[in-house]
Amino acid sequence: MSFRQYLNIWLACLRYSLVRTMMFRFDFFLWAAVELAWMGVNVLLVEVIYRHTASVAGWGKYEMLLLVGTSMLIQRLLMGFFWSNLFEMGRNVRTGYFDFYLAQPGNPLFMISTRKLDPDSLINTFVAASVIFYAAHRLGLHPGITGVLLYLLLVACGVVIHYSLFLLTTSTTFWIIKTEGIEGSYFSVVDFSRLPREAFRGFANVLLVYLLPAVVVSNVPANALIHGFQPGYAVWLLAVSAAWLALAVFVFNRGLKRYASASS
Amino acid sequence: MYAALTKYRHVFLVGLQSNLIYRWNFLIRGFFSLARLAVVFILWGAAYAGVARIGGYSIGQTFTYFTALIALQFMIGAFNEDYQIGEEIRNGLINQFLLKPINYYLYRFTVFLAARVVSGVLVFIPLLLIYPLIRAHLTFPAESWRLLLGVPALLLAAMIQFTLAYCFGLLAFWFLEIQGFVILSYAAETLLSGQIFPLDLLPPMLFKAAQLLPFYYMMYFPAAIFTGRLGFEAALPGIALQLVWVGLFALIARGLWLAGLRKHTAVGG
Repeated sequence: MSFRQYLNIWLACLRYSLVRTMMFRFDFFLWAAVELAWMGVNVLLVEVIYRHTASVAGWGKYEMLLLVGTSMLIQRLLMGFFWSNLFEMGRNVRTGYFDFYLAQPGNPLFMISTRKLDPDSLINTFVAASVIFYAAHRLGLHPGITGVLLYLLLVACGVVIHYSLFLLTTSTTFWIIKTEGIEGSYFSVVDFSRLPREAFRGFANVLLVYLLPAVVVSNVPANALIHGFQPGYAVWLLAVSAAWLALAVFVFNRGLKRYASASS
Repeated sequence: MYAALTKYRHVFLVGLQSNLIYRWNFLIRGFFSLARLAVVFILWGAAYAGVARIGGYSIGQTFTYFTALIALQFMIGAFNEDYQIGEEIRNGLINQFLLKPINYYLYRFTVFLAARVVSGVLVFIPLLLIYPLIRAHLTFPAESWRLLLGVPALLLAAMIQFTLAYCFGLLAFWFLEIQGFVILSYAAETLLSGQIFPLDLLPPMLFKAAQLLPFYYMMYFPAAIFTGRLGFEAALPGIALQLVWVGLFALIARGLWLAGLRKHTAVGG
C-alpha cells in the first residue's frame, strides 16, 4: 500500500474516533477530567516541594515545571494516539480477535497502532502545552521558531520512545498469555521521566539514564528549551529512539510469528 | 450471634482462598511499588540536598513516611472492591445474596479484610528484600502510644476506605459504567490522603482544609501516627473523627443500598 492509502486509513480512523466521542460525550468530559486531575496533582507536587526548597538537583521551580510539563505532553500524545490500541492488542491476542487485524491488507503494526484515537487525551495536550508555555514565560525564554521546532522534534522522539516501551510491554502477550497489569511496568518507567537527570546517582543513573530511556525522554527536550540546543544531546535522543523502536518492532514481529490464534 | 460469627468466619476463609489465587498479582504490584519508592527517594533526596529539614522533618523521617505508605496501601487500601461490587450488581450475581440471610455489606467487608490480610502479608516480601538498602534511611519514633492508637486508627482507616469504595460500587444500580467516577475520586484520594506528598507540607490553610475531608483519615492519619508526624494531642480527636466518617459513610451506603434495591431489576441472575 502507498503512503497515501495509509494516510486515508488513518484519516478514516480519526473520523471514526471523533464520531464515537460525540456519541459518548459524558465519557469524553469525565476522562478528560481524570487526566486533568492527575496533571494537576503533578503540578501541585512541584509547587509544594519548592515551597520548602529552592532547587532540586540544580533545577529551579519553573525549570522543574517545564520538565514536568514536557513529560506530561509526551505522555498525553502517547495516550491520545496509541494507548488504547496497544492496550487492546494484549486482550485481542488472548481472545483471538487479533486475527481481524492480520486479515487486513496493511502492515499489521500500523493497523493495530492507529485504529482508535482518544480525543480526551489529545485535548489535554493543550493543558500540558499551557504548563510548558507558562513555565517558559516565567523563565523569560524566547526560543524562536527554530527553537520551538527543535523542541517539538525532540518531543516527537520522546513519543517514539514511549511508544516503543509500551509496544515491548504489550508484545510479551505473545509469549505469556496472562499479562493483565503488565502496563504497570510501563508506568513505573514513565514515573522517572518527571525527575531531573542530575538527581540520579550510582546504579539508578546507570540503569534509568543510560540503559533505559526513562529519563532522557523528557530531560533532553526540556534542556534544549532552557539551555538552548545542544547537538550532542539531540543525537543521543535520536539514536536512543531509533534503537528502541527497532527493538520493539523486532520483538513485535517475532511475537507475530508465534501467534497461533485462539480457539474460542 | 455465634451463628452469625460462624457464617462470616466461613466468608473470611473463602475470601482468603480466593485472594490467594491472586498472590502473584499482589506480589507484582508490590514490586511495582518499589519503583514508586525509588522515584520518591530520588526526588526527595535531591530536594533535601542543601536543606537539613523540610516542614520540620529530616530526610530520614520523610523516607520513612513514604515507605510506611507502601505497606499501608497493601494493608488497608481498597484496590478494586468498587469495581467488583459494581460487576456483581451489573451481571446479577448480587441476586443470590438478596435471597440468603446474609448482609451484603458485612459479606463484602469480610472479603475485603481477607484480601487485605493476603496483600498486607505479601507486601513485606519486596519490602524485606530492599530492607538492607533502605535500613539506614528509616527512623521510626519510639513512643508506645503510637502503636496503641495507630492500630485502631489503621482499622478505622480501612473501614472508611472500604465503605467509600462500597458506595461507589453501589452506583452501578444507576450507572452502567462506574470506572470513570472511581478513577476521578482516586486522583482526589491519592492527593488528599497524602500519597503524593506528606500533607503537612501544604500551606497551613490548605492543610487545615484537608483535615475536614474524609481522605485525610484514610491513609495520612494512621501513617502520620506511625511515623511521628503527628502528636498525641491530635491523635485522639482524629480517631473520634474517623468514627464520625465511618458512621457517615455507612449511612450513605445504607441509603444507596435501599434506594438501589428499589431500582434493581435482577437481570441475569
